[in-house]
Amino acid sequence: MKIFTYSILALLLFSTSAIAQEEAGEIAKIWSFPVIYNYDEEVSWYFDLAGTSFAENEDVYIWIWSPSEPDAGNFDSSSEFAKLSYEGDFIWRFDLIPTDYFSVSAEDIAASAGFWLRLKDKTGTKQSGVGSVSLTAFSSFYTADELIRSYPENPLIDEPLSILFNANLIAGFDGATSVHMHSGLNDWEILQEYQVWVPEVVEKTKLKDMGNGFYKMDLIPSEYYNSPEGYVMENITFLFVKDEWAATTPDQKIFAADVIPPPPPAFTFFPLKISQKDILGIIRTNNERGITELIYTITAGTKVIQETISGNMTEIKGFVDLVSELKEEAPLEKIHVLIEDNSGRIITDTDIKLVELDE
Amino acid sequence: MKKRSIYILLFFVGILLGGCDNADDGGYAKPITIYEKVKGDWSLTSIKMVDEYAKANSIKPDEQDLTNWFNYNTFVLQLNVDEENTPTSYKVLGEVPALFSADGFWDLSSAFTNTDLSAVKINLYTDVSKTQRTDQLLLISTPGSNEKMEIQLVRKVNQVVYASYVFTLTPAN
Repeated sequence: MKIFTYSILALLLFSTSAIAQEEAGEIAKIWSFPVIYNYDEEVSWYFDLAGTSFAENEDVYIWIWSPSEPDAGNFDSSSEFAKLSYEGDFIWRFDLIPTDYFSVSAEDIAASAGFWLRLKDKTGTKQSGVGSVSLTAFSSFYTADELIRSYPENPLIDEPLSILFNANLIAGFDGATSVHMHSGLNDWEILQEYQVWVPEVVEKTKLKDMGNGFYKMDLIPSEYYNSPEGYVMENITFLFVKDEWAATTPDQKIFAADVIPPPPPAFTFFPLKISQKDILGIIRTNNERGITELIYTITAGTKVIQETISGNMTEIKGFVDLVSELKEEAPLEKIHVLIEDNSGRIITDTDIKLVELDE
Repeated sequence: MKKRSIYILLFFVGILLGGCDNADDGGYAKPITIYEKVKGDWSLTSIKMVDEYAKANSIKPDEQDLTNWFNYNTFVLQLNVDEENTPTSYKVLGEVPALFSADGFWDLSSAFTNTDLSAVKINLYTDVSKTQRTDQLLLISTPGSNEKMEIQLVRKVNQVVYASYVFTLTPAN
């Protein structure tokens, strides 16, 4: 409770001191690999900053104040140990062993308010919204008498998955030197067999020993099975094997989550008919990752109007005041509109016919 | 005695009849005109652009809110009248797109609500004699107890409405 109070206090203090910072936007998504981990285990945290004002490959630092504040006092110049590495596609990674990084015990972390943070540039002129890495408690598994449990229950092909195994529930697994996973995607369509004669495979299929007959497997299906681009995962079928096939579990199956494809991008001018004395809207919704700006160039008679409009992945919208911009122009039959996004791709390159207003 | 009773009776009848005299119908008052309701300075609370063509064809989007664009939050419409509540000049304050002429003279198509309930029009002119009309706005919501006025600027081509701008206004302080 005390720690929780301090965290809230720290958060409040931090918020007030942060008023002068540029707000870069909210962290779109945070996840970890492994999905579940003991706090004295090495873990990678991933941060998706697509849609924020952080640029690709920009140096990003973590500013975390709960469960403790390792880089305290250095907001104006973050330490090297707080630096994230860039993974590509607006995703940054931070590796840590929580008990080491925060210099507190695993119990203290479990009892804390959680991991609360912002991401920032080195000098603190720019920062993300407050984010938190969720604590996923799994200790209930130790007493649940479940043979296996997966996190998440229904995995996605390109996202991390952890599978817990209670070997105490299968006869013949006691005294195992190692436990391995023999498995396939979609009812054994793409295999990752447990081949005891291939050392790399032995290593790859090996579960992490959590002690007391409990084991854990961490993987990302698309990487683990090297599935082709666009492959649709429906299930993972597997069994766990003791040593060199000394004992096995019955076949197990985990069903994949339904994949909901993102809605396609849509671009529109507003309104559908327009005159020289109207306001022209430029709207693009459901933008692709990293697309946050549209640059328009309107050529109308002798006039060229160029502007950048900003938004986010949900919507980029801007309006052009044709009334004022074109009031000196003779009556025009059409204008030319070229629109590019911030990746340089042409969204549209077209003429818009202007209607002649009734008097 | 009998004669006296008749006098008394006549006296009372007289009083009763007297009550029928001097009917009080109130003084003559001019009916309140729309000019009295719409005169003065009006601040913008919102402006939306409607794609009437899209709306008619059930295409989305058919509306966009422009309130936070182009300094529209500074928009003020002044509708001036003289002491007789006769319309004189008008003026648009604020650096906003001139969707209609920013100043001139004005009047209404009717000083009273149309009996067929169609919107009364605000005519805008360049000249004081009101012969050169530049624009026409529809008064789609007349201020009453809620002191809100809505005016619509309609864009037409070949007599077909394709877009409109709806201004929601409240009295400026």
